[in-house]
Amino acid sequence: MAELVLNAVDKIYRTKKKAVHAVKDFNLTVKSGEIVALLGSSGCGKTSTLRMIAGFEDVSNGTITLGGKPIHALPPSQRGVAMAFEAYSLYPPLTIGDNIAFALKAAKMPAAEQQARVKAMAEMLEIDGILNKYPSSVSGGQQQRASLGRALVRQAGLYLLDEPMGQLEPQLRAVLRGRIKHYLREHTCTTILVTHDQTEANALADRIAVMEGGVLQQFASPAELKARPANLFTGTFIGEPPMNIFDATVESNAKTVTFHVDGGTVLSYPASEFSAALLKQLVQNPKVTLGIRPYALHAGKGPITGKVVSCQWLGDQTHVAIEVGGRTVVSVAHERIREKPGSDLSLSVASGDLHIFNRDSQSAMAHGGILA
Amino acid sequence: MSQLSLRSLSKSFGTFTVFDKLDLDAETGEIVVIFGGSGTGKTILLRLIAGVEEPTAGTISIAGEDAADIAPEHRGVGMAFQNFALFPHMSAAENIASPLRAMHATEDKVAAGVAKAAKLLKIDHVLGHAPRELSNGQKQRTALARALAAEPRILLLDDPLRNVDAKLRFEMRLELPRLLRQSGATVLYVTQDYKEAMALADRIAVLAGGKFVQIATPEDIYLRPATLGVARLFGDPSINTLDTAIATDGASVNVAGKPLSIARDYKAHAGKPVTFGVRPEAVSLATSGMTAEVMAVTPLNERVVLLLTAEGGWELLASLPSTAKVPEPGSTVHLAFAAEGTHLFDKATGERLHG
Amino acid sequence: MDHTSTLEKLIRGVLITLVVIFFMFPIVWIFLMSFQTNESILRIPPSVVFTPTVENYVALVTGQMKTAAGSLQLNFMQNLWNSVLLSSASVVIALILGVPAAYAFARFKFRLGEDIAFTLLSFRFAPPLLVLLPLSLYFKTLGLTNTYVGLIWVYQLICLPLILWIVRGYFEDLSPDIEHAHRIAGYSWFQTFRKISIPLALPGIAAAGLLAFIFAWNNFVFALVLASADKQPVTVGALAFVTASGIQYGQIAAAIIFSIVPTFVLAMFAQRYLVEGLSLGAVKG
Repeated sequence: MAELVLNAVDKIYRTKKKAVHAVKDFNLTVKSGEIVALLGSSGCGKTSTLRMIAGFEDVSNGTITLGGKPIHALPPSQRGVAMAFEAYSLYPPLTIGDNIAFALKAAKMPAAEQQARVKAMAEMLEIDGILNKYPSSVSGGQQQRASLGRALVRQAGLYLLDEPMGQLEPQLRAVLRGRIKHYLREHTCTTILVTHDQTEANALADRIAVMEGGVLQQFASPAELKARPANLFTGTFIGEPPMNIFDATVESNAKTVTFHVDGGTVLSYPASEFSAALLKQLVQNPKVTLGIRPYALHAGKGPITGKVVSCQWLGDQTHVAIEVGGRTVVSVAHERIREKPGSDLSLSVASGDLHIFNRDSQSAMAHGGILA
Repeated sequence: MSQLSLRSLSKSFGTFTVFDKLDLDAETGEIVVIFGGSGTGKTILLRLIAGVEEPTAGTISIAGEDAADIAPEHRGVGMAFQNFALFPHMSAAENIASPLRAMHATEDKVAAGVAKAAKLLKIDHVLGHAPRELSNGQKQRTALARALAAEPRILLLDDPLRNVDAKLRFEMRLELPRLLRQSGATVLYVTQDYKEAMALADRIAVLAGGKFVQIATPEDIYLRPATLGVARLFGDPSINTLDTAIATDGASVNVAGKPLSIARDYKAHAGKPVTFGVRPEAVSLATSGMTAEVMAVTPLNERVVLLLTAEGGWELLASLPSTAKVPEPGSTVHLAFAAEGTHLFDKATGERLHG
Repeated sequence: MDHTSTLEKLIRGVLITLVVIFFMFPIVWIFLMSFQTNESILRIPPSVVFTPTVENYVALVTGQMKTAAGSLQLNFMQNLWNSVLLSSASVVIALILGVPAAYAFARFKFRLGEDIAFTLLSFRFAPPLLVLLPLSLYFKTLGLTNTYVGLIWVYQLICLPLILWIVRGYFEDLSPDIEHAHRIAGYSWFQTFRKISIPLALPGIAAAGLLAFIFAWNNFVFALVLASADKQPVTVGALAFVTASGIQYGQIAAAIIFSIVPTFVLAMFAQRYLVEGLSLGAVKG
């Protein structure tokens, strides 16, 4: 168990014609026993980062240390890292059970202990029924679980999980997320999870590193990311359904703060709900971008009015879309709401739920009336 | 008379039966979602209706007319494919125009039809592009526009949102109902995403094991699932289950040796072995009642999912709104089960028991 | 890792040069020979320094071959024309028959379908002589010996299986959904075949056509047995250079250069399709 530190890491891919800067000045400290997710869409640099940590790729600049020891120059086999691959990469001539036991065998663990560990791991991942089968004869989801098991069963300083749950059967996902998180905690596994799926990152990670264009955008806990996104990118990237975005111009006086939203909507709040420092900033930068999460929009009386586009109940939540000034605004409620498409609906939002971004720099100015 | 009706429709390849004796009626303008896992034959069903594949037995009627001898090009059907199936050597505009040209429409009518469909789907700006120059989202919209262009009586949509990214899928899900209603067509929509099914359907036909297990409104499917299988397919996280038996008084089930009272009266089934099912969002934290240890806390969008181990080792999930107070992993909590999300299923048949 | 050492580059360069020399040497040598007299070709030691002459080409074009033993009549230009006619006609007919058949084998499962396809392919394994003996008897009876029709017919044994099997693969790689989409859009089966299937398989059809042309062009034994002088292609006609007074190497070389030209031009023209075709086939649509 060890702390992983990436210090000013760069990755540049050079071809004859051009150089691609895939990862730029990347700094990250993963505490011992912490689960960190690298989250971003394809091409954001998360996979390059993972491959540098695993040793499949050289670092162009910077250092990587694990437990205080520099590892970036070591071959993959000497880094003490266990990895679950996105493409499973199980050994085809070995049974699922032998695949999971592979590293244990190599470490010359007594057979009885090997068996016990493999069995416990297989039970956790619900593959105990297929241990004698070969990878080619089981489903993609089962192969992925076997690959995960092969990585987790090892003793390693660091666990790297590359899109480890993408192919899992939907009915199993929630339970396995819980069990795996419990397992990683229990064994204080320092873990890096690479994923493009924010649901997975939110569920499993203690902290999430959001990446885009090779640059770390924000590194924070899931709750923090949701409540205090550092910029418009993380604000709109994190959260399902995504945040509603409005361009607005602020007008404020001693009593009230008014947001004139493009499209005609006007949001007014008592000035007392905003910190003095923020009010000052808003006077200097009246052109802002407002972000409002769908859950913060409540149906009923309110200043945001429009016609209902659709009202969709999904069992545990209702998604309501209304058309406001030619665009669609989404509100989500935990309860069941029944609105007819075409009918009028008003939505309200509390000042505490407003995310205010600088329209030029796109960085966050304030969350809930307090400076970011 | 229904616009589309299937009677005892069966399809098999050699000895392998894809589905057997399906019956379904869809009214004009109705959106029926065919829901099922992969390999259940949803796509094959659409192909049969489109006429590009032939059923082994049974009839398909379109507007009351037996379609058996009607060639696909004369069925008045529009279809969008999961892999888009755009014609790669034609521009987006020509793709959309193809059904209009097939009807020998005048150039003016073709142009008008393409423009209308393109505007509806917001792809006016890429009409001149070849399919390979389009993003997945644009491809999918082009495919939908092509399916809608000739204003078909029946619209077959084969998991059209499968291959587009999550954001676009969400946007399209909100937009589609309006679009489909405007077309006035009877829609058969295939998906394996239960949220899409619930969001779009007037009725959902759940296809499993070669049969329609339940054909009902989203509300009925979710709140009154016909079988344990259906209950499992709808809901994220999936329904919690426990094998037990109904007590002799018909008012409780046995959980880890203790009676757990159930809201409805099951006297008629007293003593019967059942599967007790409770939806994660119907599990709430209480001050007394069944105790459970919190194993892990996993946030899921605006909810928090708890992995719990209850008395007797029963592993279950609870899904709470994130506004609720969330316990720490390792702590012990008491659980309560809301009646609405609690069901008993016959252990032998999987059918839901009516209390 | 993503960088290669200088040594690696050097070795790679040397190996590539060796391969190029190995494959190009005969062609270059033949080209040089075609501009030399028999004497300068046969001189020992051989040399690349010589006075070029076009007399070999002149002899081929005029049909007058002067040898040490006197003048001989040649009908090489007739042979060349025969080759062009036989090969192109065979390929065209094989395409007309083979492309629809390939489509049928790719799309429809019918009784004995696989067996028929395999039987057609098996013509390619059988030694040509095995087929030729009985065939020459039939041809004599039917009066097809030494006719273009007869030869083109026999050439189908070369062209048809090739086209059938290559094009079939391309049709199989086309997603049936694209054809279904076109049917549903309101077009008949034949319109879909013409407007969708054929255009999309065109690179494959071009590749198969070119290959079939090359195989037909290079055929020797069918024409040797079934045709006499006036219908023989270049491959057989080249035998005329083996004369009583020795082998006319210079004219053989010139004849080879002549006979490479049509295939070469065709390959150049079809190259674009070929490359596209060979790579398209690998990617599932």
